[in-house]
Amino acid sequence: MVQKVLVVEDEELLNRQLCDMLETAGYEAVGSLDGVNAMLAFKSFNPDLVLLDIQLPPTSGIEVCKQIRAISGVPVIMLTAKTDDEDVVAGLEAGADDYIFKPMPSFKVLQARIEARLRPKPVPEVNELVIGPLVIDVLGHEVRRDGVRVPLTPLEFNLLQTLAEAPKQVFKREDLLKKVWGYHYDADTRLVNVHVQRLRSKIEDDPDNPKIVVTERGVGYKAGQF
Amino acid sequence: MLAGIFSAVIGAFRRSIQLRYVALTVAFSAVALVAVGGFLSYSIGNGLFHTRVEQILQESKRATLDVQNTFNSSGATDVVSLQVLVNAVVPNLEQNVASGSRRVALLRTPNQATDQFLQSPISSTLVDSDIPIAMRAKVAKTENRLVYRTVTLNVSGNMEPSVIVGSKITIPIAGQYELYLVYDISDAQATLDFMQSTLAFGGLIMILLLGIVAYFVTGRIVGPVARAAQVAEELALGALDKRLPERGQDIVATLARSFNQMAQSLETQIGELSKLSKMQQRFVSDVSHELRTPLTTIKLAAEMLEARSGELDEKAQRSLDTLISQVARFESLLSDLLEISRYDAGAVVAELEPNDLNTVVKLAAAGLEPLAESLGCALDVRVPKGEVIADLDRRRIERVLRNLISNAIEHGSGKPIVIEVGQSKSAVAVTITDFGVGMSRNQMDRVFDRFWRADPARKRTTGGTGLGLAISLEDTHLHHGWLQVTSELGQGTTFRVTLPRKNGGIFTESPLPLGETLSQRKIV
Repeated sequence: MVQKVLVVEDEELLNRQLCDMLETAGYEAVGSLDGVNAMLAFKSFNPDLVLLDIQLPPTSGIEVCKQIRAISGVPVIMLTAKTDDEDVVAGLEAGADDYIFKPMPSFKVLQARIEARLRPKPVPEVNELVIGPLVIDVLGHEVRRDGVRVPLTPLEFNLLQTLAEAPKQVFKREDLLKKVWGYHYDADTRLVNVHVQRLRSKIEDDPDNPKIVVTERGVGYKAGQF
Repeated sequence: MLAGIFSAVIGAFRRSIQLRYVALTVAFSAVALVAVGGFLSYSIGNGLFHTRVEQILQESKRATLDVQNTFNSSGATDVVSLQVLVNAVVPNLEQNVASGSRRVALLRTPNQATDQFLQSPISSTLVDSDIPIAMRAKVAKTENRLVYRTVTLNVSGNMEPSVIVGSKITIPIAGQYELYLVYDISDAQATLDFMQSTLAFGGLIMILLLGIVAYFVTGRIVGPVARAAQVAEELALGALDKRLPERGQDIVATLARSFNQMAQSLETQIGELSKLSKMQQRFVSDVSHELRTPLTTIKLAAEMLEARSGELDEKAQRSLDTLISQVARFESLLSDLLEISRYDAGAVVAELEPNDLNTVVKLAAAGLEPLAESLGCALDVRVPKGEVIADLDRRRIERVLRNLISNAIEHGSGKPIVIEVGQSKSAVAVTITDFGVGMSRNQMDRVFDRFWRADPARKRTTGGTGLGLAISLEDTHLHHGWLQVTSELGQGTTFRVTLPRKNGGIFTESPLPLGETLSQRKIV
């Protein structure tokens, strides 16, 4: 099945270039030049992944990302010419799974990031994981709490699953980047921090005093012991 | 203890201009008052004394005349009636006095041809020896005139300042006598003493008052100056909106006005400069951001072409290679520009965490191994055993090292590059030494300048931006560290990075030498 990528980028030439290259690489790509059209295209095109520029007229990429997250957990990769820390963090907090700076080192790098987000997880050894009050249905890609489904993005689900599969192991941020994001070189560990925060806000009783995803000071994160 | 007080007083004098002027005023006025007081006291005392003596002489003259007349007109011829007359002289004179008291002695002039047959009467509290001998001799020789002396006499234990007035009296039959009238002038002395002590007391009060007046007057003058000094200091420390109060039309108000004008123009100019500088930084940052999107498009397009390079002929292929390499160069130039503009805007925050410097150095060196290999030079990495842990922003330090090592490779003429790590208690250091072309003194001075190149015509292998060392310097400063260079033309160059081991730590010496001559190092 051909996977569909929505490219939201206001620079027409870059948008077309990206779509061309994505199509050459075997994806089905649709370009969208502004935030309003992006939401319409998202609903009609139903993409498997969104490439989203942050600086968009009239609604910013961050706003578009929030709107997408409100209705879907589809992977979003932010495309940004802004390298200031707060922009990156704002994008991640809005729900983006990953980000890549303009200009990216090469299209291959971008493609690798897209692949990592679209790659299906290997068939799990167990069907169900339990961590505290949460039941993780690995096959159904669902998390339930007291029988009620907790809406997680695929990335958040992967993060939680990775931690739950090895309940005694402390994961370094670099390990998590490798396992969950598919990075194979030194990358920004803020990705991990921001997503752990988002995950906690969805699954913890008190996100400021987490029990399920625990910080191991100076090392990284691990699953809470119950 | 005493020395401590002394030095404290000296210190207070050094610090307070007001104290100095008050002390000066008090000292000068004390001198003036002592002079005036001394003169006053002297002339008043003199006046008092002369008046008193004048009065005494008048009284004495009268008394002497009375006594002489009494004897002249008595006509007494026998010893007994003479003795009666003589005896009456003393009580008469003792009582008959206008002011104060006087004592009397009627003494026979010694060494006369006739015998003495009259007893010499004398006041009860007076003795012969109270009259100085020299005076008696003078009186004996003086005719028709009064002789006087001022003396201090012991009167029943009290020392009394006194005036003795002497004159000759001729007593019929009995011969030559001397009449001495002794006046107590301690009342005049008392008046003088009282006046002097009043003067002294008044003088002290005066000095005190002058001191207080001087304190307030200097305070009025020093106060605004001190305020101006304080405001100037605050201004110098960066509080550009500080101003002095402007009141009145006097010199102090003029000072305040001029000062405020100066501060105003300073503030305006600094404000304008920083606005300009912010605008410029903003501009650089905006430009680099704006250029990113088209650069991305070009880069992707070139990449797409590259994927089809098999379909291009040789010349088109060469154009494509040029396009790709120049886009890469453009990109690194852009990112360096952006980085520098972020430093200029003060928007850079270090993420300092304990890191192993050995690992960072090895990683940086490993990343440049291909470049070193292509130029045929070996990277000789010498690190201490174990770990060299320091608070580092790993990404930045790795960038600094990459930059320094690639520079060394580029200028190393294919000779080995020595990379050494050192540590001490307070600092860690890395030196990167090449044995290539080296630099002159002038070149060394400019090596950290932006866009400066040692040799503009030199073939560029690594496509540096000319900003690398400037950024490295900023990165090092962000760690509160040093980035230093030494070089010899034709011998090679050493760069040394020294960083504090702990964030905020202080070090005074780098663990690795920099001054060591390069020729020596080559032998090692």
